Amino acid sequence: MDYTLYIASVMGAIAVYLMMPRRGFTPRKIGALLGAVTLGALWLILARSAGVGAGMPGGAWTYYYIFSAVAIASAVRVITHTRPVYSALWFVMVVLASAGLFLLLDAEFMAFAMVIIYGGAILVTYVFVIMLAAQSSGAEDDAAAPVYDRVAREPVAGVATGFLLLAVLLSVLFQPMQPNNAVASDDQAIIANVLTGRAEERLTQQIRDPKQQKMYADAVAKPDRLTNTQRVGMDLFAKHPLGLELAGVILLISLVGAVVIAKTKVEAEAAHSA
Amino acid sequence: MDTPLDTLTLSHFLLTGAVLFVLGVIGFVTRRNLIIMFLCTEMMFQGVVVSLAAFSRLHLHVTGQTFVIFVLTIAAAEAALALGLVVLLFRRKRTLDAEAWSQMSG
Repeated sequence: MDYTLYIASVMGAIAVYLMMPRRGFTPRKIGALLGAVTLGALWLILARSAGVGAGMPGGAWTYYYIFSAVAIASAVRVITHTRPVYSALWFVMVVLASAGLFLLLDAEFMAFAMVIIYGGAILVTYVFVIMLAAQSSGAEDDAAAPVYDRVAREPVAGVATGFLLLAVLLSVLFQPMQPNNAVASDDQAIIANVLTGRAEERLTQQIRDPKQQKMYADAVAKPDRLTNTQRVGMDLFAKHPLGLELAGVILLISLVGAVVIAKTKVEAEAAHSA
Repeated sequence: MDTPLDTLTLSHFLLTGAVLFVLGVIGFVTRRNLIIMFLCTEMMFQGVVVSLAAFSRLHLHVTGQTFVIFVLTIAAAEAALALGLVVLLFRRKRTLDAEAWSQMSG
């Protein structure tokens, strides 16, 4: 198992290195092929040897391989694409794939928050800045991109260091671990203490909107279960109030900082020879 | 979220998180475009977030997911400030090349 992971790390390093943009000919297709073969072989070996899937619903397991492969392939494309806009779009793909992984991990709220905040808000900001700051050429070929997009800086050292880190991490991650003795949190206590009356029949009858009525009917049908969103909300507000306040302060400070930065006047220096 | 997760299953999700993180590191080191460098930090966040959600599922404890909210907050603040700075630097030098600022190193 260990050697498999090391070999996969080396192959992946070579694949990413081949795909790195450089002067002259970039053997991107060869790198992509090597990367796909490596990932496919690793998935096959993992799926065969591991006998995994305990704790997940039956068919969900195959989706892990699909979402994970999409996330990794898109991530490689983010760091190897010569055009920033496409990098940003591939990053949206990474976010969507990891949102799929969140669904497999029963983190539904996080999955949708990720798509909305990352894929929506943050990435739109990035694309805006790329549009603002791009020396747009309009041409579709890579040769029109500025040189700092076309040539990677120290690709050998960077890729070697990164995949060395990955090999070490993986050899630790796949060590045998202690069996998992976690017990599910006690929803009944929260419902009895905090959310009393959540599942009462009369609430359902007071609601006119049939859609919301159905939602409350679900709560009535499972009176002792909280949804993922309710659990996250309870944990956030009941156990981390200080963190919540600090997050608000950080957002306020960054808002003020962004305004100050945006209003700073600069005069352009002589054109830099890139 | 009732049956405990097998630790080998956890290892698989941590693998995905580690790969995303490492690819973010590699991108941050090798790319010269300032915007892409900050995009790569977002990818490192993404890897960490996958690991957090996996651990949350392992321990059947929702605090891991709560931390994802804080990560999102920091990511948003960082994106706003970093991109503001990038635009500022771009207005001064008309380039996004990180090496154009190497003279700032002491």
